[in-house]
Amino acid sequence: MFTKQAVRDYDSLLISWVPILYISIYKITYYCGGSRTSDDSLLEKFKNLDFVKMDRRTFIKAVGVLGASLFLQTYKSDIAKALQLSETKVVWLHGVMDSGCTISMLDGGSPDIVEFLRVYNLKLLYHEVLMMQQGIFVDGKLANTSELNSEILLDEIMEREKGYVLVSEGAVANGPQGSGKYLMLGGRPYKEIYEKVAKNASVIVAIGQCATNSGVNAAKSDIAELMDPRGIAFTMEDSSKGIAELLGINTPVINIGGCPAHPDWVFLTIGAVVLGKIKVPDDLPYVLDQWKRPKVFFPPDHVVHDNCPRRGYYDRGEFDLTVGGEKCLWKLGCKGPYSHADCGTRRWNGHLNLCPMAGSPCISCVEPGFPDSSRPFFVEIEKTGIVGTDIGTVAGVAIGGALLAAGAHAVRRTVMKRPEDEEGFAGESTPEETGGEK
Amino acid sequence: MVRSAEKPASRRVIVERYTWLERVTHLVHLISMLILLITGFKIYFGWGFMSFQIARTLHTIAVPFFLVANWILVPYNLFSCKEERCSVRDRIVHFKDSYVFGKGDAERLVDIFKNFFGKGRYPAFTIYDERKGHYVTKLHPVLKILIVIESIAIVLVAITGIVLYNLNWAPFGIPIAAWILSITWYFASFFNANALGVLRLLHLLAAYWFVFEFVIHVGILELDPDAWKYHKAIFWSGNEDLSDRHFVKVIEEGDQKGAVKEH
Repeated sequence: MFTKQAVRDYDSLLISWVPILYISIYKITYYCGGSRTSDDSLLEKFKNLDFVKMDRRTFIKAVGVLGASLFLQTYKSDIAKALQLSETKVVWLHGVMDSGCTISMLDGGSPDIVEFLRVYNLKLLYHEVLMMQQGIFVDGKLANTSELNSEILLDEIMEREKGYVLVSEGAVANGPQGSGKYLMLGGRPYKEIYEKVAKNASVIVAIGQCATNSGVNAAKSDIAELMDPRGIAFTMEDSSKGIAELLGINTPVINIGGCPAHPDWVFLTIGAVVLGKIKVPDDLPYVLDQWKRPKVFFPPDHVVHDNCPRRGYYDRGEFDLTVGGEKCLWKLGCKGPYSHADCGTRRWNGHLNLCPMAGSPCISCVEPGFPDSSRPFFVEIEKTGIVGTDIGTVAGVAIGGALLAAGAHAVRRTVMKRPEDEEGFAGESTPEETGGEK
Repeated sequence: MVRSAEKPASRRVIVERYTWLERVTHLVHLISMLILLITGFKIYFGWGFMSFQIARTLHTIAVPFFLVANWILVPYNLFSCKEERCSVRDRIVHFKDSYVFGKGDAERLVDIFKNFFGKGRYPAFTIYDERKGHYVTKLHPVLKILIVIESIAIVLVAITGIVLYNLNWAPFGIPIAAWILSITWYFASFFNANALGVLRLLHLLAAYWFVFEFVIHVGILELDPDAWKYHKAIFWSGNEDLSDRHFVKVIEEGDQKGAVKEH
């Protein structure tokens, strides 16, 4: 524990550093879009802050600038202290999805998922992909204890547990005809299970586009309507079609979009909630955007394009027209200019890489209308138009037509001018009749 | 060829067609629009003749000139008082007669098309009332249509431009860019489109409209030697010689009221 002197020191440190820190972060995020070049000096400043006393705003900024790995390195011991007494239970459900987000979380190297659970003192009650005890038979019979049978485990959780964090991966099938039977779990519609689990949770963290907006499941197709997969708080852009609205689930929802979600986004958001740095639900209106995404990771005032490593080529007007080049990918349909995410500064695969760095245009996988709003992925949005029209072609034809018409008009009024046209000007009266100069 | 130049000074009937401020407005509009179009298309197409930064700087510098010309000077020119005609009602009537496409304009437009194909005379679109000492109507009917669509395009290009300029534009703390984005999201959701994408698309659409309008305005309306007198009027002198009766009709002192409607 701190001595009084130490506390005073911390206080004076806070008082002296906080304004400088704010200004520095503001400058860096505003002018450089959170460029990594100043992270070292910034890290030094953050090290001098007392994590326990850090307010929400500073915490959010630290999270945004440092990333999960640096954040944990910097504050590991503080976090451990803060969590000495509390354990938070987590239920992780999988709906209509491909487990891509779980794979993305497993790929989180620093911290890895085990370290994440340990550092934040989380107890993972249920996670279908990581659990080993599903459907174990003993002497030819299905074991009916919760340790050996996950269906029984889930039943017990639904009966006994309350106030846990629900990590919700994947959409909830509502079809056919609202029965939810297109996704069954242990003989019951997942929709029913989800309703019970969600209503008992203290907060729902929806991870990945399937959970946040139904994503690929709700993309236009012959079966989308029949399957009727619902996101948790939204289906595509429509909040009235979220499963929460349908089932009357009032638990607060935090959306972490992306296909898949970045491990930093998920770990740091859950961490912030668990540590009480984001108080649910009081702080949510201040930290979330209109799609319920944390603004720190999905900044409303900046897009992937702002910090793209290929941005210099855009500024010089150098565009790749075929894949495999090194220039700006805009003309190959890059959706970076429309996508609100910090991919450009945070980066992926151990904070090293980014879709455009790997040669792929951004497909805007974090936006609510994904994938339909991004399709076709490799055609620029101005070429596709919003109702299938190509504005460039329409404008070209119109302007070309206008040029031809102007040419025809000019010929008609000059070369083809006839004497009767000359008479045709509107003056019925001669200049003499109109009187003299005024 | 400007016909009035051929006439001796005694036969000319000179009236003011455009005030000096109207000429300045037109010129500011023209120059700022050309700068906006060239730099805008440079940014969009990635043309190589200028750096991105210079193009973007010129583009943003031209914006206030463009908007001041259209949103302050044009309304001022329309509604400011001249001489005795100072009532609001008079100004509204003046606005309606001078710039709003009406029945008379529709008839003139039909006559213009007929004339193009060799039938009938080219109608007078400029009508001057000598008794009252001012124009009854001044502009070509096509121009009156273009002006309305152009006004809409200017509003569109300005609103969309705010968001493209700064996603977080909030003068005096009023989050205007955020409002525009929210409203666009409402409509974009119907098309399952991204609001920012829609805004860029509309910005581009408005830019193409300005090019189209420019071609029509300069190409069709002005590529006629008889209309060249209006180049001189709008860019330099501001005056029109009514004795040159190309496109002009004058209601004279002795005419009965309503003579205009013969057209």
